Amino acid sequence: MNSKNILLKIISVALLGGAAALLPADSRAASCCGGGSAASLTVPKYAVAVADLSFDSELYDGFWDQNGTHRPDPPGSNLKQYRLNLGLGYRFAKDWQTSISLPYVWNDNKYSGASSQTDGLGDTTISVTYDLLDDISSWKVYEAKDMIPAVSIGMSLLLPTGISPYDKEKSSFDITGRGFYRLDGTLLIEKTVRPWNASVALGYGTYFDRSVNREYGKYVEPYTKGLGDRFTASVAVGYSFIIGTAGDSITTTASYAYLNEGNASYNGTTDSDSGFEKQSLGAAVAYSSTDHNWGLRLGWNHAIQQDGWGRNFPTTDVISVGVRYVFL
Amino acid sequence: MSFSKSLCSMAIAGVLLACAGCGDNLFPSGSDKRSEVQAGSIGSGVSQKAPDFSVTDTNGTTVTLASSLAGRKGAVFYFTMWCPICDSHMSSMRSSIIPRFPDVNFFLVDYVSGSVSDAAGAASANGYAGGVFTTLADVNNTLENNFQGTMGTTVVVDNAGIIRMNEDYRDGERLLATLAGLP
Repeated sequence: MNSKNILLKIISVALLGGAAALLPADSRAASCCGGGSAASLTVPKYAVAVADLSFDSELYDGFWDQNGTHRPDPPGSNLKQYRLNLGLGYRFAKDWQTSISLPYVWNDNKYSGASSQTDGLGDTTISVTYDLLDDISSWKVYEAKDMIPAVSIGMSLLLPTGISPYDKEKSSFDITGRGFYRLDGTLLIEKTVRPWNASVALGYGTYFDRSVNREYGKYVEPYTKGLGDRFTASVAVGYSFIIGTAGDSITTTASYAYLNEGNASYNGTTDSDSGFEKQSLGAAVAYSSTDHNWGLRLGWNHAIQQDGWGRNFPTTDVISVGVRYVFL
Repeated sequence: MSFSKSLCSMAIAGVLLACAGCGDNLFPSGSDKRSEVQAGSIGSGVSQKAPDFSVTDTNGTTVTLASSLAGRKGAVFYFTMWCPICDSHMSSMRSSIIPRFPDVNFFLVDYVSGSVSDAAGAASANGYAGGVFTTLADVNNTLENNFQGTMGTTVVVDNAGIIRMNEDYRDGERLLATLAGLP
């Protein structure tokens, strides 16, 4: 990877994407593909910082093949990945914030003839976000400008801190990360007209090529590997309920997410069979205290286990629980 | 110490903790670190003689190293756990490679199923039953241990029992080149 390529990649991402709240970083996980994902982390405008702790339980149930046909996992298999995600966000200027997310990953794979339980750090994400526009009216819409949404742009960098196929570990069951740096540009658009809210999140990421001289613990003839660019998009709609008279609220959210990653390359030659695609649906319920300091959430993400809703990717259900504290 | 400094310290400590022991990915090496192996000795490395084995295929037939090579220029052993990456490799092999090498045996090594019937069920559910591949049920992990195999490992053994390739499938180009070079 030379400096010219790096510069070109950075410019491409900056132009293509924009910005960054930490978008959900879907990643190939558990039994076959490594994992470790970051959670969405945004510091509210009125706050100084956010600390977030969440736990994901991802259950594997089949996959889409190259043609988008849904296939079952082998008989007698039970494949899971658990992730504990620590996120910290800090607003260092009125319109700027930075954040970091560290996942710790447990792989729990059982087949009728093999069993493996391993753990390790996942890939770390750091990001910087700039608030382009603020949502100036969240209560009533009187005129056109009240419909202006909050818009954030930013960049995030995925650091390969997890265990990858290029480490000393000999089994694919041990993998907790991709092994590549990735730079993402993200765009987040949100609008609240109480009690409703809606958001659109877009992300475009590019991996940096890397040298490989080892595969699953075996040294091999060195080569250069690249992963395809990654595009993510999600839309969400939520409705908030006020509980009692103190102002505590519960927000329910429904979402749809799309993920596409391009083909990998080996020594500059594209592998046309390696890209993947995934569509999923989500539902979440979140509790927020009166002063908005504390928040609890429970979420479910479901990959649609039907032909044509994905390609070359596992289908999973992810159940997440999280707690968040906002520092004013 | 102010709150913001505490938060920064926590973040930096977190990154340092995360980075500890993961330098191979943070700073990838392109150095060739393959160790010399004694050609012809028994082992899993390229140029070594493949260890003998005896496993059952999904038809219940016993397959040995000798039988896998009998009358052929060589044999390919692909390690599958019936995952999306495995499927993309197997599909690519089936459509682009196998038709070009009718004098080579192609085996799928199922190293995760605990019985021949489970391996047969997995092969069937994934569309690989009764085709150009023979699926081996490696229920005792014999092949997995012999070749240090894991998901995507592709091993080529020539007619003399010498290992010509033992690495990840990647895009199949290395497999093509290796098969084209079989004596």
